[in-house]
Amino acid sequence: MPLNRETAIIGAAIRLPQALDSASLEELLYDLTRAALADAGLAIEEIDGIVVGSNDQFDGRAIAVMAASGSVGGVDRDILSTPSASDHAFVMGVLRIASGQYETQLVLSWSPTEADSLSEAQRLGADPYFHRHLPLDELNAAALQASRLAAADPGIAAQAQALAAHNRAAGAKAHGLAPASPLAPPWPLTAPMLARPVTGLVALVLASEDFVAARGLTGVAWVQGMGWATEAGFLGDRDLTGAEALRAAAGRAYAEAGIGDPAGAFDAVELSGVTPYQEVLAARVLGLGGLVASGAASVNPSGGVTAQNPVFCTGLMRIAEIANQIRGRAGRHQLPGVKRGLAHAASGFAGMYQGVLVLGNEQREGSRA
Amino acid sequence: MTTPRVGIIGIGQSAFKARRDDASYPDLVREAVNAAMADAGLDLDAVEAVVYSLSPDAMVGIGNAERLGVDAVGARGKRFLRINTGGATGISSVAAAYYHVAAGACDVVMTAGADKVGECGDSQTVLNKIWDPTYERPLPLGTITMLAMSGIRYQDLYGMTEEDMARVVVKNRRHAALNPNAHLRKEVTVDEVMASRYISWPVKLMDCCPQSSGGGAMILASERFIKANRLDAVWITGVGHCSETYYLGDRMGRGQAADHADAHALKQSFLRAYRMAGITDPERQVDVAELYAPFSNTEYHSIEAAGLAAIGTSVPMVNEGRFSLGGEIPVNPSGGTLCTNAIAVTAMIRVAEIALQVSGRAGGHQVRGAKCGIASGNGGDHQFFGTMVLEA
Repeated sequence: MPLNRETAIIGAAIRLPQALDSASLEELLYDLTRAALADAGLAIEEIDGIVVGSNDQFDGRAIAVMAASGSVGGVDRDILSTPSASDHAFVMGVLRIASGQYETQLVLSWSPTEADSLSEAQRLGADPYFHRHLPLDELNAAALQASRLAAADPGIAAQAQALAAHNRAAGAKAHGLAPASPLAPPWPLTAPMLARPVTGLVALVLASEDFVAARGLTGVAWVQGMGWATEAGFLGDRDLTGAEALRAAAGRAYAEAGIGDPAGAFDAVELSGVTPYQEVLAARVLGLGGLVASGAASVNPSGGVTAQNPVFCTGLMRIAEIANQIRGRAGRHQLPGVKRGLAHAASGFAGMYQGVLVLGNEQREGSRA
Repeated sequence: MTTPRVGIIGIGQSAFKARRDDASYPDLVREAVNAAMADAGLDLDAVEAVVYSLSPDAMVGIGNAERLGVDAVGARGKRFLRINTGGATGISSVAAAYYHVAAGACDVVMTAGADKVGECGDSQTVLNKIWDPTYERPLPLGTITMLAMSGIRYQDLYGMTEEDMARVVVKNRRHAALNPNAHLRKEVTVDEVMASRYISWPVKLMDCCPQSSGGGAMILASERFIKANRLDAVWITGVGHCSETYYLGDRMGRGQAADHADAHALKQSFLRAYRMAGITDPERQVDVAELYAPFSNTEYHSIEAAGLAAIGTSVPMVNEGRFSLGGEIPVNPSGGTLCTNAIAVTAMIRVAEIALQVSGRAGGHQVRGAKCGIASGNGGDHQFFGTMVLEA
């Protein structure tokens, strides 16, 4: 059902890739927050609340939001954390504004690479009795999913290779290409499909339709549709070719945005996947399989995860990229005339959590405006 | 715009214990979910979204342990996310569920979670990892030492004695003895508390909350759904959150952002919730309170932050029975956090207990005639504070 109030993205900041050797995480988050606020033209005093997507295992701190809360303006302010996924912070920001209790929200996430082994940090998320001993991390789970997809559709390997090449070419023009992963890719993945994880930070400033109108803001990206859903925690309980959570999330987002035929609905699309196999699967479920297969420039103009992989915050990064495309602020990889875009977020083992955001340069039809 | 009304229609909680060897972590979540669904008279298909309540992952030894709880809360294919604000997580999760409904996204939302603090080894070892790894972890800081410093400061400023701290324990244990779900239900005397060993001066063993295992779940619904289905509900009329500084040093000495004796951000959070609920005189308008106070000394500054007493004045009021069952504004009639602390859901249970109170369903620890109640949760290093006002 439609939300009670419309929300717009009025500011964004992306730091990708971010070197960690010259500043502390707190300093980087302070810089990020200032940049997002400057992009929105707001002072921190005008932010009603903050939602943070942070992950304890990657940060090496219990309750990772604690250390960050000061540098993002959380003192004397309302701040929440969604450790399940970075895009869940965006969802909460939108819901809080739609509830009518807040006019503005700062939403941010980050993903450091200081852990000795991200694989080990991810492995702690596997159940301790069965999967942790395999060992299972996100890359191996994605490889299992890729092999299952290839078994069901032998043609998907060529599509995944082509999408990886497309992503790398786009990424070279956008944020540059991260070095290839130093690890031997698990079958059926290949080296050009995987980038070495990088540190990244991303922040968005959200505002209510009332705030946008009162300030006379233009050049904002409106949330036209929002869906999110989860699959079961155990891989064995899932059909890894099915993407049921993505179907649910997409159905909700498309219904809210009034999109019946997604194939020609978007001027820009940003997909999330640990591997391009996941991105091909997502594109098909989203009704964008043909678009991706055609190698359209509107797909992953940032290069996506294949080019730069800030592991935990990739979902929120995709939302910021589409918001920037709509606001005409994407920089080197700006596409011409973007009026509506789709941001897809996926995280957890084999894309357990799925999120779909439809953003546009206009409010939804039927909204109060 | 006018904020839509949101009601609580189902509550489930475990009988909390030190250990639950009979139940896995997801089992504990499911136990609370089943109880809440039965209380609401609904089945899981009616739930459109789930907010998962889980504080530090390290407490259950599984990274992003909410993923293992997806089936326990029946969330496959549904909207699902997790909230973590440390000890405040439970009330922050209720607030997040509230926003789902108030935003118009859903008619029925569940928030649920569980913890096995009693089986985590040592919670203070885990909680030491919330602090700065270079300066503060090696002290070593823990939540007990952190709030013992608050107690010392409160003693110095307002004259609280260790016997005064003990009287909070005596009061809450007496309350918990009436609550079948409380973990520590044995009544104690001031002498027994005073004779217990020091953990971190002035905090003694009996001044501390236990490490509890158990689950909690609540079902929230829109006014439209509640009326259409002719359900009984308790209304959430006020919601607030506010945070303090991360670094304890910023709450001490010259240039302090707030005094560590008090709970500055808790007060700000309550002011926000009160403003939303239209409460201008909490001493007169509030009938009952469940305030997150894991150590006896912190109940005093929590009472004051809630506006139930002026700052520095609550000690004689506790001693005189104003905040006991039978008193004017009973505080923690369930026994509170001091008697039960399964961290991931402790602050949710504060809200749940108030919902039971204002609907007249609290059983042996019912506050007679309670119609308006308040709840709070504290998390991080006394950093994140969530508050709610509930009305019948």
